[in-house]
Amino acid sequence: MIPFRRRRDGRVTARFEAGEARLLLSLAEEAVELARAASAPESAALDPALGRLLPDAYPDDPEASAEFRRFTAPGLADRKEAAARVVMETLAGTSGEGRVEVVLDQTQATAWLRTITDVRLVLAARLNIRQDGDEGDIHDDESAMQRAVYDWLAAVQEFLVLALRPRR
Amino acid sequence: MSGTSTAAGTLERTEADELLQLGSPWVTIVWNDPVNLMSYVTYVFQTYFGFPRKEAERLMMLVHTEGRAVVATGTREEMERHVEAMHDYGLWATLTKADA
Repeated sequence: MIPFRRRRDGRVTARFEAGEARLLLSLAEEAVELARAASAPESAALDPALGRLLPDAYPDDPEASAEFRRFTAPGLADRKEAAARVVMETLAGTSGEGRVEVVLDQTQATAWLRTITDVRLVLAARLNIRQDGDEGDIHDDESAMQRAVYDWLAAVQEFLVLALRPRR
Repeated sequence: MSGTSTAAGTLERTEADELLQLGSPWVTIVWNDPVNLMSYVTYVFQTYFGFPRKEAERLMMLVHTEGRAVVATGTREEMERHVEAMHDYGLWATLTKADA
């Protein structure tokens, strides 16, 4: 990866190896599925990872939280799905073997930030990362890979934020 | 970090006092989580709430060190909009009555 940097025209650009681009694409596809699963108001109760995408708005009031969720979950899930689809579009044509250059305007960059966040939230829940500094429950190749992806996405996002950051 | 904690306590009380006078007794709280990057949280505070960099960083550090920070005050409807927006960004936000 050549990390994100800001261009003169205000857009941000990064370059990914073919394997990295394919990974990002598959994660974005997964984020679409997660957003769809999260749209059902009862999903948070069934899967803690989905609950983290749509947390309780009223920590001491389950009834108000459920009400809030009924009103907001479909819209939140739709917007999360739309963001993930923008990420997929910006990675279109990454099936080849060469490096992939990604160029994002502000709207597309916001979609990337949100989708990376959603994927990392779900990975953290799956890895049982609960507090600052938690290593997570790494017990096999799959969980080790998830942790590596979680950390790599953090690096991608950090550079993207720095490239986008308002000057003041 | 006791100095920070004292300052935060004073600030929250002052905000609560102002709220009671204005009759808008709800607050949006952003909570610390192990996932979101400090740079990203600052970026969200700057771009969504329009805080200057320094204020956004101050609130981010409050979240990080104290576990939570009040980022907005107003009516319940306004705070529900903010909480929904924070959930759009993947931040862990809740709303509550200011005097709760």
